[in-house]
Amino acid sequence: MGKDLLFEIGTEELPPSCMEEGVTGLRKVLENKLSESRLEFRDILTYVSPRRFTAIVKGLGEIQKSKEEIVTGPPAGIAFDKNGRPTKAAEGFARSLNLRVSDLEEIEIKGKGLYLGKRITEEGKKTKDLLGDILKDSLLSMSFSKQMTWSDYDMKFVRPIRWILALYNNEIIRFNIINLTSGNVTFGHRTLGPGAMIIKNTGDYFKFLKSKGAVIVDSSKRRELILRQINKLEEKLWKGRYKVVLNEDLLKDIVNLVEIPNTITGNFPREFLYMPKELLIEAIQHHQKYFAVLDKSGNVSTRFIIVQNGIKDTGGVKKGNERVLKARLKDAAFFYEEDRKHDFGHWTEKLNEVIFFSGLGSMYDKAVRLKKLSIYLADLLYGSSLKGKQDISPDLVSASLLCKCDLVTSMVVEFPALQGIVGRQYAREKGEKSAVADAIFEHYLPRFAGDILPSADVGLILSIADKIDTITGMFIAGEIPSGSADPFALRRKASGIVLSVLKGKYDFELAGLIDCNIKLYFESFNPKDIDGSKIASEVRDFIIARLRFLLEKKGKRPDILDAVLESGCGSIMDIYLRYAAIEEFIINKDIKRIYFPMTRCRNIIGKKEFGEVKKELLAEEYEKKLFSSIEEKKSKIKNLVVKKEFTSVLTELDKLGTVIDQFFDKVLVMDKDEKIKTNRINLIKKAVDLYMMIADFSKLVVDRN
Amino acid sequence: MNFQDIIFNLQKYWAKNNCIIKQPMDLEKGAGTFNPDTFLRCLGPEPWNVAYVEPSRRPTDGRYGQNPFRTQFYYQFQVLLKPSPADVINLYLGSLKNLGIDLKSHDIRFVEDDWQSPTIGAAGLGWEVWADGMEVTQFTYFQQMGGFPLKPVSAEITYGLERIAMYLQDKDSFWDLSWSDNISYGDLHLESEKQWSVYNFEVASIDMLLDLFEKYEKEFRKVMKKGLVFVGCEYVLKCSHIFNLLDAREAISVAERTYYISRVRDLARVLCSAYLKQREKMGYPLLKKDKK
Repeated sequence: MGKDLLFEIGTEELPPSCMEEGVTGLRKVLENKLSESRLEFRDILTYVSPRRFTAIVKGLGEIQKSKEEIVTGPPAGIAFDKNGRPTKAAEGFARSLNLRVSDLEEIEIKGKGLYLGKRITEEGKKTKDLLGDILKDSLLSMSFSKQMTWSDYDMKFVRPIRWILALYNNEIIRFNIINLTSGNVTFGHRTLGPGAMIIKNTGDYFKFLKSKGAVIVDSSKRRELILRQINKLEEKLWKGRYKVVLNEDLLKDIVNLVEIPNTITGNFPREFLYMPKELLIEAIQHHQKYFAVLDKSGNVSTRFIIVQNGIKDTGGVKKGNERVLKARLKDAAFFYEEDRKHDFGHWTEKLNEVIFFSGLGSMYDKAVRLKKLSIYLADLLYGSSLKGKQDISPDLVSASLLCKCDLVTSMVVEFPALQGIVGRQYAREKGEKSAVADAIFEHYLPRFAGDILPSADVGLILSIADKIDTITGMFIAGEIPSGSADPFALRRKASGIVLSVLKGKYDFELAGLIDCNIKLYFESFNPKDIDGSKIASEVRDFIIARLRFLLEKKGKRPDILDAVLESGCGSIMDIYLRYAAIEEFIINKDIKRIYFPMTRCRNIIGKKEFGEVKKELLAEEYEKKLFSSIEEKKSKIKNLVVKKEFTSVLTELDKLGTVIDQFFDKVLVMDKDEKIKTNRINLIKKAVDLYMMIADFSKLVVDRN
Repeated sequence: MNFQDIIFNLQKYWAKNNCIIKQPMDLEKGAGTFNPDTFLRCLGPEPWNVAYVEPSRRPTDGRYGQNPFRTQFYYQFQVLLKPSPADVINLYLGSLKNLGIDLKSHDIRFVEDDWQSPTIGAAGLGWEVWADGMEVTQFTYFQQMGGFPLKPVSAEITYGLERIAMYLQDKDSFWDLSWSDNISYGDLHLESEKQWSVYNFEVASIDMLLDLFEKYEKEFRKVMKKGLVFVGCEYVLKCSHIFNLLDAREAISVAERTYYISRVRDLARVLCSAYLKQREKMGYPLLKKDKK
């Protein structure tokens, strides 16, 4: 049935950012090393607290699986002479194994025949004798994106390792690494724990560390406890009058900064409440990792939450933290006041000094590009006729030029997470239109997967322009994401473009916008040896790939996407509408009536050069009928495609299928007369072209029965 | 505990724990790290355990004496342990206990803070240490200096003396700290803090500073040609401080900023490389002492 293995790597305080990486890594190396060593186990559970990575291997078999190896020598035909006596070859082989020929047997090797050989079975060793090496190798194989060395050791880890606990079936597994020998000793809380503690039974580990060591090893339990404590405050003490701002990123960090959480409430002076809400909340959260608290009407209150490391406070912890937050807020107020002395003119000037990216000019240059690019996009979308919409170009111009300004404000330099938020706030304070102020904030959206999107056209268009401009710029600079490396989060930006386009229902060819963007770059920076059109198609493909990724993630069918993309359509909205129409058609109608005729047409024409259909060569009734049918549908479908009425297009194609089927039934394409044959192929090509105006239906995965 | 007593206390504690107690360097610098007792001694294989007070200057941190604990001048207590001992964190916690901090009723936390100083090509991993939310110490395992990887690795413990004093004396501001029984920190430093803030932000002559930077840089190259490593070190520090002043005066654009930083870093690299060679040539004298 197997026994449990407890493996704890004791470290100095771990950075919260490495913890996920650490537990995943630990599980993976253990899985690999145990499997490589032919050890069976039920499950591996991993845990992390500020000073330890822990793995528990459940049901680890006590004996290694045995291994059978076949060693082969000469073929049986050569191994024995006519009289059945072993030849020199056989004897030599036996000697090489320290055996006699009589110890060997004839073994059938698949596809090769009979060979003289020996089955050697390696008996499984005892697990406990193997574990030392396995655990040592596992530990040495762990790696982190940020590692360090300490003292004069060569070993790298995320923080110094100070102890190792390894128990299998309650027996110590010994191994040595740097200055350490593994044992049955662990350490609890640095100041509340009793120092070294011996773990005798694996089953006692969690209980013992919690009760004696003041450590909750399981981070999900620490999280629960924090939430429970906060909930109790809100309901019991505050009776619903106050609510804690539960920032998820902050909570994740805090869970991993304490061995045993203990929540206390502090207060700061009212004098800071005049600062704008979002600035205040960030000042509370940012450095000190406190939770802000709102009152019933949603305003920041003077309360704040400290999650500390399990100390029973005698007053000092609260007082100390209050003092620190007061000074932090004083600093934030200082920055806010400094900023209030300036205006957007001043900040715009300073934008000249902020480099957007080496070789691609300043943030001011970017702002100017954004102005032109977003106006270009707006024109593309609304054209000269605004279709009853209010002209948003003046707002777009203002928002473009102001949207990067807050990067040089003291507030954002101090609290980078406030970019956009500070810009919106200051724009309001300086009397900018609310559409402009909102767009300044919204152009950064979405900031992360699942984030909100811009709420109105100005924000949406500026957000698309800003992201296209960054992606295009990075592609020009050669900073193209590859594999898991995407240091400028370009994939996320491309996803943002897709989502904003879909939200705004903006139908435009990406290629036009990207070309415009590249021209803007080339006007000012004249990058040498760079093929603009190559970049343009790479950027387009990059964004389309994100569209595909997002749709597939939503469970959309890859084959329909393939079919639509094959049509060469380069508008995100258009692709989406085509997809939706085809998907709906598949559900409600019979796609085979489109799929089979088109596939048949496509297969027969091959990939040669095609010419015009010569009407005078059309002799038979059904080819004439097909010809006229195509002629009739061509302009109709064209029209429907322009109007995005793809469902109607599919209905037309559905009807065309009948004509095509009749054609193939009655007409022999491969006529003896080469001219007639070519003409018929050209005719079929016209039919294919008609289908391809919406999608390459032959790419669909259709049940052939 | 008075401010001066905190210094005595830490000095005694670290002297007892195998450190030599040195005195500050007579030159402007941003932190105890820039003192050659850290900057240079962390390089190479020789063991080195030292503690000293370092008056430090960061012109951009000036707040005209208005902020309770952000100032352009302050004191650090610097400890460098090379190689970093296995019980280094407990040693550190011992020093807090020795200062009278009850570790069981205060929240002492090690919060990730990876440190780097691009101007001297230095980088390390470690924490800021919080006492009830107040950052009282910077704790760093040096990984690189002057662009050179370090082996053995040193542990650098930098106490913010004013913050520890605020904490111990239960005061809300640097200025209210008692330096001795009847002299406050404010008595000694508030007026000069105001004056220096005015100078750093408003008065310092940009042209003169730009000119000095060039001259000091030149002087550095000259003395290094003669192998005068410790003299060269001072010129690196002078350039670094002038850069900080120019930064406070907002005299250098972002693009230029990178350029100046790379210039100082280049000096630091040349310096560290020369120091390493010099120690090697001398046969690493402290390595021999350690064996005796």
